[in-house]
Amino acid sequence: MDPQSTIILGKAIGAGLAMIGAAGGGIGIGLSVGGAVQAMGRNPDHTPTIQTNMILGVAFAEAVAIYALVVSLIILFVLN
Amino acid sequence: MNSFWNGKRRYVALLLFLAGVFVALEVPPVIPFIQLPGENLPSGYNIPFTDMRITNTLVAAVIVWILLLLFLAYIARRRPKDGSEVPPGGFYNMFEALYEGLMGFISGIAGGAHFRLIFNMFMTIFLIVLLSNWMSLIPGIDTVGFIHAHTKEKYDPATEEYKVITTDGYEIYQGFLGISYVNGQCDWISPADEAAADEAALANAEAVRLAAIDELAVKVAYARYQASHDGHGDDATEEGAGGHGDDDHAEEAGDSDEASAAYDEVLAAREAEKQARRDRDCYTGVAISPWEDGYEPSGKDEKKEPIPLHPDPGSAEAKRVPWVVLPLVRVASTDLNMTLTLAIIAVVMVQYVGVKALGIGYLTKFFNFGTLFKSPLGGIDVAVGLLELIGDFAKILSFSFRLLGAMFAGAILLFVMSFLVPILPWPFFILEFFVGAIQALVFALLTAIFMNLATISHHHDDDHDHAEAH
Amino acid sequence: MEALGINPGMMLIWLIAFIMLYVLLTRFIYDPLTNVLNERRNRIAKGLEDAAAAARARENAEAEAEKILAQARSEAQKVIDEARGRGDDVAGTIEGEARQEAARIQYEAQNEAVAIRNAELGNLRDQVLNISVAVAGRILGENISKTKQKALVNSFITDLPEGAKGLGGSVEVVSAMPLTAAEQKQITSEVGADEAEFAVDPSILGGLIVRWPGGLVDGSVRSQLNELARSLN
Repeated sequence: MDPQSTIILGKAIGAGLAMIGAAGGGIGIGLSVGGAVQAMGRNPDHTPTIQTNMILGVAFAEAVAIYALVVSLIILFVLN
Repeated sequence: MNSFWNGKRRYVALLLFLAGVFVALEVPPVIPFIQLPGENLPSGYNIPFTDMRITNTLVAAVIVWILLLLFLAYIARRRPKDGSEVPPGGFYNMFEALYEGLMGFISGIAGGAHFRLIFNMFMTIFLIVLLSNWMSLIPGIDTVGFIHAHTKEKYDPATEEYKVITTDGYEIYQGFLGISYVNGQCDWISPADEAAADEAALANAEAVRLAAIDELAVKVAYARYQASHDGHGDDATEEGAGGHGDDDHAEEAGDSDEASAAYDEVLAAREAEKQARRDRDCYTGVAISPWEDGYEPSGKDEKKEPIPLHPDPGSAEAKRVPWVVLPLVRVASTDLNMTLTLAIIAVVMVQYVGVKALGIGYLTKFFNFGTLFKSPLGGIDVAVGLLELIGDFAKILSFSFRLLGAMFAGAILLFVMSFLVPILPWPFFILEFFVGAIQALVFALLTAIFMNLATISHHHDDDHDHAEAH
Repeated sequence: MEALGINPGMMLIWLIAFIMLYVLLTRFIYDPLTNVLNERRNRIAKGLEDAAAAARARENAEAEAEKILAQARSEAQKVIDEARGRGDDVAGTIEGEARQEAARIQYEAQNEAVAIRNAELGNLRDQVLNISVAVAGRILGENISKTKQKALVNSFITDLPEGAKGLGGSVEVVSAMPLTAAEQKQITSEVGADEAEFAVDPSILGGLIVRWPGGLVDGSVRSQLNELARSLN
């Protein structure tokens, strides 16, 4: 295998592995939205507050997935 | 106006859809060359008074600023002068409703003494980021731009100098209405690669021919072996020596028919491949080093003929290098410069509002040596303070990369979806609409929350203890 | 850094742009608009308060008005009742008077009619006497004493039946012809009544019918003729 192909292979594998981190974000978003929906079901009067906090929590959880994505993008498009 | 469009919008939508199908068939889409830093526009367009090159993300940023200033002028002109005036309707009213809603929202989160500062900060960041993000929804942004030679500098350790190399790109192509574009069906193959492929085909053909000859030789040898077994044993060697001439004859015979047929077949396949490429209107470039307009390779010395920015498709010049699209406008939030600057501003403002609210005592949040010798756990406080300091620096990274990642990934998503399903990327445009709004809100909201947290004394528990002691 | 595209010059441009936008937006939008919105909110709050106060005042006024209205209504009812009562009284009075008047007129008319009839009958009585004297004279062929004849006829008219003498109390006497005052006095004394009422009924032809509470004596010619007719049959 020539060096160029090896580099591409390594990049692809690395980027793919980096994206495993997105799973954590997915789990986090699922848990927080699930909890928020339960809370809203039990306490519909507080829906606006719960929703705001849920969006914040989702943003934080999503941030982790986005970091993984950024790492993967950097591996793919920035690394030489 | 309204009555005119009643019930006709669907036909307009259908027409646009059909136009999309037509354009997708006529102008096959291309995945643009993806890179994280903003692409430099062609030279000659430097930022005034500097030698910095204008990037396409800066173009988007300038558009955002101009839009914001226009927006500002519009709102400032239309807003009511005092509370007794009835606000005007239309777009202004929509903005005012949004403004009032966000005001209530932020005053619920950070409604303290520093509400004005926090809210103004929130609103400015929100508007800038929102406008930047939503620019990715405008057709033509990220896709229309200059066609430029796709080149790269590479350090060659053998010769210890930088070499300009060409990488994979596309052939330039002339579409309808005189629009040039790079053709996604025609991968650019460098002349060297083409020659190498030709050589490989020749070698392959030779190998095939030799293999055919070998096979034939084996057959002949086997036949002779059989014959010698059938005949008398003692004249076997003699016959073998005499038979060698026969073998050569056989080889000659094989070369002339079966082996040469195999040889031709391989070369014909290669020729057919080239022909198919030609049939698709794809050409192979001429082997010269690429020379973007104004581009100076680090190798220096040698002056080369520049390639025009808008080459005439079909001309010899157009085929010398691989071409890629350099978008004229790329969404500003896909550039780390913007997100990093906003993140630094946000974090600095957090510290500023903290010092403003709590005085110099705010800094004890980071350098908490007060309890070091008083309490057995004083060392932990010091460590916690230092962690806070690191945490605030991490905030910069987290802010900037969250926005950058979301928007850059969104842009790539739109590229890829347009490439895979040229006429149906619209669900992803809807997705991008929401992602853009949510990311803007999250960026601004987190700034507001952190600013509010900084105004709240972290020594609250201590004060409480003192009060109890008294 | 280079690979990520971080460019200090570009960041500086962004910083300057951000500060400019922040200052301009704050100066021309946020500060005035926030003030306007706060002012409007206060105005609305004040307006709502005023409206609440007005509503309260209106409620009070409504209650007051209701009270006044109820009072007025009850007063009006009272007035109406009074008026109706007075009207009823007046009407009753007027009606009673009218009735009395009518009764009086009727009574008078009756009396008048009876008086006229009696007067007529009184006139007739003389003629009847004369005719009866003439008839009797022609039948008997002799000249009958007019006085005797008159007495006979008078006795025919004023003949008091046997069972009606010495009755006492109040009686009603019915005669065929009007009786003179003297005759009335005589009959009254004959009956022995404290009080006698005299009525005229020509259909009894002659004789007297005396009626008193608890009985009657029929001495009329008609009843005698009826009896005769029954016995003949």
